Amino acid sequence: MKITRTLLAGSVVVLSLALAACGGGGGSGESAAKPPDAKSWQQDVKGGPIEVGVLPAAGTRSLKFLEEVAAGIEKDHPGADLKMTFANTKARPALEQRWRAGDGLDVDYTMFDGTNEALLEWADSGALLDLKPYLDQVDTTTGKPWLDQFSPAVLQFMQHPSTKKIYGVPSELSLQVLFYNAGLFKKHGITPPATWDDLTAAADRFKAAGVDPIAVTGLFEPYMGMWSDNIWLRTVGYDKVHDVLTEGKGNITDDPGFLKGLEMLQGLRDKNAFLKGFEGTDFTAAQAQFFQGKAGMILMGSWLVSEMADVIPKDFELGVLQFPAVTGGTGDQASMLATAQLMSVSAKSANIPLSLEWIRRVTSVETQTRRAGEIGEVSAVKGVSSPPGLPGISDVVAKADRLQASYYGLLSSKAKDVVYPEIAKLLFGKQDARQTLDSLDKGLRRVHGN
Amino acid sequence: MHKAAQRRIIIPFLIPALALLGVFFLYPLVKTVDLSLNEFSRTGTMRFVGLDQYRLLAGDPDFFNSLKNTFLITLIGSGMLFPPAMAIAWALSQRIHGERFFRFVVFAPVVLSVAVVSLMWKFLYHPTLGLINPALKSMGLGALAKTWLGDPATALAAVTFVSVWHGIGIWIVLLCAGFERLPTDVLQAARIDGAGEWRVFRSIMLPMMRDLLRMLAILWVVQSLQSFAFVYILTGGGPFGSTDTVGTLMYRIAFDRADFGYAAAIGVVLVAVMLAAAKILDKVMKRDDLQY
Repeated sequence: MKITRTLLAGSVVVLSLALAACGGGGGSGESAAKPPDAKSWQQDVKGGPIEVGVLPAAGTRSLKFLEEVAAGIEKDHPGADLKMTFANTKARPALEQRWRAGDGLDVDYTMFDGTNEALLEWADSGALLDLKPYLDQVDTTTGKPWLDQFSPAVLQFMQHPSTKKIYGVPSELSLQVLFYNAGLFKKHGITPPATWDDLTAAADRFKAAGVDPIAVTGLFEPYMGMWSDNIWLRTVGYDKVHDVLTEGKGNITDDPGFLKGLEMLQGLRDKNAFLKGFEGTDFTAAQAQFFQGKAGMILMGSWLVSEMADVIPKDFELGVLQFPAVTGGTGDQASMLATAQLMSVSAKSANIPLSLEWIRRVTSVETQTRRAGEIGEVSAVKGVSSPPGLPGISDVVAKADRLQASYYGLLSSKAKDVVYPEIAKLLFGKQDARQTLDSLDKGLRRVHGN
Repeated sequence: MHKAAQRRIIIPFLIPALALLGVFFLYPLVKTVDLSLNEFSRTGTMRFVGLDQYRLLAGDPDFFNSLKNTFLITLIGSGMLFPPAMAIAWALSQRIHGERFFRFVVFAPVVLSVAVVSLMWKFLYHPTLGLINPALKSMGLGALAKTWLGDPATALAAVTFVSVWHGIGIWIVLLCAGFERLPTDVLQAARIDGAGEWRVFRSIMLPMMRDLLRMLAILWVVQSLQSFAFVYILTGGGPFGSTDTVGTLMYRIAFDRADFGYAAAIGVVLVAVMLAAAKILDKVMKRDDLQY
């Protein structure tokens, strides 16, 4: 019996090792398709299937809009078949796995961001098409290079910092802004806050009126981190914060602005400025409570309006502000944290001209203007008006001297698990500003080894 | 001669099972060990680093926190699961009116998807919009109202409760089957001898079901050590890591950071921990077989 068992066990091990040996590494080893000539690619657009990534979820007006754009292309190019694939956050792991296997979408999101070191690899490995030759061509409708169509503020996101090649074209902008309930502000005679002192004064007035000043979610740490991110932008400055948190260059104790920012955040917490029960509130519920008038303000991405379109009361008066300036702050007082939602093209796409045509059509002034009006998306294309659902957003963007990368690139860094949990502890009242700084210092030194 | 022939006959019948075991367990296991010895880039290229990932793991406080939470879920969950499951199964094994209806009620949550159950409980737990806190307040128990998922003191238990609520029907069905297998003549004899129902339960039923309970305990430990979906949807591992399990940590490292080598090392350690826990539990609970 012992011999039989040994034989069986041996067979199983041999079988599994053989299978393991057959497994091989990642990647399909396919050779890249020859990109079309930059000068004549529009004449090369032909039918056939392509798969394009889209950010809106099924059943939304935003997706319906994009489907209409796709239908227009299919009508103009017989045989063209554009398949929409959900490419937002929750789908990314599976889609990235497809890219690793050499089967990436023809057009996809989140594959490149020139301001995020962790996202340069796809471009460096040759997986993405360099779009610069195409963007340099003169657009027949405007008579200017296609690239000139985009706001110069987004070029840093589109462009590889060292090679200067372009791997992403923005379909929309996501800006971190302070939304406020203008009706509620008027009702209580409160002025929308331009400075941090205004913000804390507004919080006091709302508390006195029995309204929670600020809606925030406690169940998604990066959204609480928007507060520390923006405060540090004002008290420390983008470059220094990015270096310390994401790159591990220097320590968080080097600049007193980090502690000052945490103390400011603690001040808000100690005023009970955040939504009652925010610790157990999901972001959808927090956003809904803001639109129900249960809180005066919410710091959120500009996608808030299109995302919550179905629950915003018709008479709701929405206001939009840039994050308040900090008097005496040594950081950037006028810059904004933002993300350009970039579309990239697979270098292995079997139909690169049609993929480029999708990008061209989505980013055309005509489509972007309709999209801003109907869906409420903020455009990165020059000459496109602000969405009517986001009154004043164009003024806010115009006042910003620079757009800086949201989250400092932390979301794809191992420092994310250090920074945002500590900020959550501060907001939850589990530690004060000094203890938060010490914990951040310890954690960052551990992950960055400095 | 006859026995040797019998053994030879068994082998062809084992091959399909062995092939499945090889393809779906041993191959992934060997492959995971292989992955854990490498460092990955975001694009999937790998570089052999030997045991470096395991050395990093040994000094990673996030890993030990997630391991602690995983064991806590196992422990707290067993307290939430087995006593009520046993009580309900015992009750359902009695002749009660509407027994089939009650069986349906306790089994119903099992057929719901994890996502649906999680979203429903996320709403029920909501501190101001949910149903639990207002219900407690209306009963004069406002002091017990909590921010269930937002408080590190209650979040782990709250998530574990949802997981138990969802799956308890299966355990009840298994325990019901155990009760039904018990020899009625032995139970009748005890009752005729004057034993009360509690005495019958404690001194006869429980000892006779020991093998089943041992198996269920091992199954629970293995299942709860793999906790992932409920935690991922309800809290994402928060607040500040208080519900982070080995499963959620491994997922985050693999897919947020594309650090597949490190995630594979965590997976290998988890498999080792599960095998060890199952073996220890089996040894501790093992008694001589009862034949009935």
